[in-house]
Amino acid sequence: MILNLLLGVGIALFGFVLQTSLAGVNRKIIGRLQKRHGPKWYQEFIDIFKLLSKRSVTHGWIFDFGVIMALGGIIGTAMFMPLTTSFLAFETFDNFFIFVYLIAVGMLGMAMSASGSGNPWASIGVMRALTTMLAYEVPFLVVILTIIKLADSSSLTQIALYQQMAGNNWFIIALPLGGIVAVLALMGMLGKKPFETYIAPAEIASGPMVEYGGKQLGMLFIMHEITVFIEVSLFVHLFLGGASNIFIFLIKYAVVYTFVNLISNVNGRFKIDQVVLFFYKWPLLMAVVQAIIAIYFGWVI
Amino acid sequence: MKSTKFTPASKLSKAEIDRKWWEVGDFFRRNSLWMLMYCTGCCAIELPPAMTSAYDMERLGMGPMATPRQADILLVSGYLSLKTLRRLIYTYEQMSEPRYVVALGSCPINGGIYHDSHAVINKLDQYIPVDVYVAGCMPNTESVMNGFVDLMDQIKRKTAVGWKKYHENNAWYKENQKTSLGEVVVHDEFHE
Amino acid sequence: MANIELLILFLAGSALISYVLTRFNANIGSFFTIFVTMFVFVSLAGFGFAMNLDTTVNYLPGFTFSQSYLGFYFVIIITFVYLMVSFFHPYFINKFKYRSSYNFLFLLSLAGIIGAFYTNNFLQLFFFFELVIWTTMFLIPQGKSREAAVSYFGFSLAGSVALLLGIFMIFSQTGTFDINAGLAGLSGTTSVIVFILFLIAAFAKLGAFPLHIWLPIAHGNAPHPFSPVLSGALVKLGAFIAIFALIKIAPNTQTIGVLDLPLGHYMVALLGGLSIIFGTLMAIKEDDAKKLLAYSSMSHGGYILVAFSLMNGLAFAGGLYHILAHALASAGAFMAIAAVARVTGTTKMKEMGGMIHKMPITYLAYLIAIISMAGIPPMGGFISKWIIFQAVIDKGLIFVGIAVFFGSIGSFLYVFRPLAALFLGQELTEYKHVKEAPILMLIPTFIIMGLNIYTGVFPAKILDFINKIIVEVGYVPISVSTYAITGANDSILNPGLISLVFGIGVLIAFIIFILLKKSRKVELMDTYTAANFVHDEHLLHYTTDFYAPLERLYEKQSNWMTLFYQALAQKVKDLGSFCKYLFMSNHIGRTLLWIMLIIIALLWGEAL
Repeated sequence: MILNLLLGVGIALFGFVLQTSLAGVNRKIIGRLQKRHGPKWYQEFIDIFKLLSKRSVTHGWIFDFGVIMALGGIIGTAMFMPLTTSFLAFETFDNFFIFVYLIAVGMLGMAMSASGSGNPWASIGVMRALTTMLAYEVPFLVVILTIIKLADSSSLTQIALYQQMAGNNWFIIALPLGGIVAVLALMGMLGKKPFETYIAPAEIASGPMVEYGGKQLGMLFIMHEITVFIEVSLFVHLFLGGASNIFIFLIKYAVVYTFVNLISNVNGRFKIDQVVLFFYKWPLLMAVVQAIIAIYFGWVI
Repeated sequence: MKSTKFTPASKLSKAEIDRKWWEVGDFFRRNSLWMLMYCTGCCAIELPPAMTSAYDMERLGMGPMATPRQADILLVSGYLSLKTLRRLIYTYEQMSEPRYVVALGSCPINGGIYHDSHAVINKLDQYIPVDVYVAGCMPNTESVMNGFVDLMDQIKRKTAVGWKKYHENNAWYKENQKTSLGEVVVHDEFHE
Repeated sequence: MANIELLILFLAGSALISYVLTRFNANIGSFFTIFVTMFVFVSLAGFGFAMNLDTTVNYLPGFTFSQSYLGFYFVIIITFVYLMVSFFHPYFINKFKYRSSYNFLFLLSLAGIIGAFYTNNFLQLFFFFELVIWTTMFLIPQGKSREAAVSYFGFSLAGSVALLLGIFMIFSQTGTFDINAGLAGLSGTTSVIVFILFLIAAFAKLGAFPLHIWLPIAHGNAPHPFSPVLSGALVKLGAFIAIFALIKIAPNTQTIGVLDLPLGHYMVALLGGLSIIFGTLMAIKEDDAKKLLAYSSMSHGGYILVAFSLMNGLAFAGGLYHILAHALASAGAFMAIAAVARVTGTTKMKEMGGMIHKMPITYLAYLIAIISMAGIPPMGGFISKWIIFQAVIDKGLIFVGIAVFFGSIGSFLYVFRPLAALFLGQELTEYKHVKEAPILMLIPTFIIMGLNIYTGVFPAKILDFINKIIVEVGYVPISVSTYAITGANDSILNPGLISLVFGIGVLIAFIIFILLKKSRKVELMDTYTAANFVHDEHLLHYTTDFYAPLERLYEKQSNWMTLFYQALAQKVKDLGSFCKYLFMSNHIGRTLLWIMLIIIALLWGEAL
């Protein structure tokens, strides 16, 4: 048991290192896209350690407690994440819903801490973040419902194994409409450009982050990197057939994250009600159509 | 000849350990400088080329930030009036330490072309400590970038200590602020 | 050995005594109420778990009692909520107009509850139901508004009439008022009609979609200590009736092939889904904290209906667990709001802010309650929602699935609003003098906090008991071991492990936090305002129209149901005034006309 827990902490740490490096590499790629040099690939590490080294301000106990709860919740979630179909900390307990709901503890902690700072912009940012969540989660979960029904399991490794079995396609191919919905939902989850309404630095002064500086902001950056690791890995396991070894996982992970980042950089930003209307129009419709086709008619490529 | 006996390593004092950590921290701080831009004058036009593909500030690890809490550098460009100085001081005091101030153009140095106006503050460093001046009216983008590199160099040589001076000579700064502005914290101008 | 009959008589007697005592001194009467409810709870808990209660009847002629695991599950939850709330009475009783009758009716309604769940006769069931409804109807107007009671009574009456009609239908077909024999003997079309009638009663009591209007009005305006009872306990009577209809009658309507579910049950699941969506959307919009929680009760009632209509052991277990989890969560949240309302005198969120700095324990109670309500681990609500999700996915119900997911994500939005607006944010000047709730009010708060966590971390014992109920109604029990719950689709949940891992994560974060440089403490007003000087807390406190961009999207549709019921009420009023015009008139001619018509009818009646 202790060994498993240590392994889990190791996976969380691995996720942090992986995602932070990849985020740095992606900043460089975006720089090249815009005909710039871009920062060093380890710039994100420097940023985080710099923040941890600064002397920050605090607005009371809930401000600090929320940050601890946020980072703790996310580390806890990452500990359940399988890297490959056989390499995970807690075998058989990698249930899909754990990820969706345990991640919410982290989000709640952050929202609490942000509102506890007493800054109205922070509350507006939290409001927008929650509204965006309401928008993208429902179509995404309908697609997941289809997948769980088809794979007859809600464990991530089992779903990945089902796709690796001979005769089965990856779900992004088998359920093309659902795949599109999932990519859109992933962009919402990661807060990428058309849906980054809740950060909006020029409009609401970076939303929930407005009052953070120093170690609290550094911890939230760590939390953000691990969250991205969880969400992208979820996509890899659910739609891209998981990974049978760690290299395949790394390749798939890097491809998905870079792809989403590239799309994001040629987009503007939606208003918050546009985000809701967008997700409840086409993605939800596509998700439902896909679910009906796949579950009731059994037409799966 | 070395003694074969076990000699305990000389214990570092608390102050020395702190200094070592501070040096490690300095490496991160000089390679990741986030700015809060306080632009009231024409020098602000030099910042877009500094950020975008011409000079690409991001390769030095620098970038703009939204709020004073997150920022390391307070970039002051353009002239300061009595009204804006109040806000500048308020913003400076909200920043997390260590914090640095970069003054752009001649207005913060000597008042620039408005030096004889009744409402313009001529010398910024009477009110808050300034680490780097970039002179010129207006300075071109190379000198702006050069100023940032100077700041990084100063952090490396541990001479960027404006924020410490603000603590040490706080009474002096406060008095200057009071003489020019009356009260620094003024009443709510919009909602009363 | 406790006897049910004696318990009911004891409660009725104590009700009278408490009336006299409260007359004499309000505090003595309230403490007496606490001891009476505690005695009843302890005797039920002590003998009920093993079905050791004495059911013999000596003093009440014509009454019969029997005990079942199902009835006990409901009765212990409800009595527990009553007990917890009774601790609040000494601090609230002086605010009521009719103090003595408050305690009297409170105990009498508890007697009704015990009777309703332990009876085995339909007529007695109806009698006890009415006892509960009538007593609570007089309790509600002691709060803010009298109209609340009218609305509550109107919808309850509709439910009662449907229930009574259903009971008579059963009697006419099977010839018995015995509950088990009557439900088992139903068949054919009668069973469908009884199914529908019972469901109307259940929907009315549970506040589910078409019959939900009373819920926010009654919960929002009820006395502060009585709202937890209404939401945590009394709406669960509806769930009890729903079990009769959906599981015990379960008529053979046409089965939908792909879903493997009868049409009737699917319709109920869809209506449950509508309840979830409607409750969520209205809760997001609401500004009154208690009404917001009332709408959340409506949405949770929808979850219970969905779970019961899926017709298998797993879903049934999820529904039953949800009843417990929601009772605890909703009681905790309402009690926290009551504690706040006691010191501020309002439940409007836009008038409050920053209560956390003065009432940190109440804040924690509310936080834990809403974590459970939103279905986030490690609290009880997560276990039940997880089971219900598994059951819904296993059946492949897409549209119900959309509702269930929407409600679950939407609950993050509405539960966060009181947290942000009422407890967090700027500390408003007018509430800087308030104090934390007194120790007697904190006792139940701590107990409920503990139970919310316990139900989320160690559900095995409770699920074992639920398995007994599942066997009793004839489904396949779910497999539960000490550490893991197995759902459909090969899924296994280990709540203890989740909590452990969460704890380790928080520990790591805490170590990181404590190792780094200490922060400088600043005032709440010292926030980033784009360098403007703002000196008024109200201007920096974001509470009004919290979800404005989202609300704008459905503000036109949001009052459809209210308009419908207003129109209905208008029609009934018109009908009434038409009758009044015909019958109640001073005009002699109209009276003569009626007399003549009646005489003619009487004369012709013979011939016809």
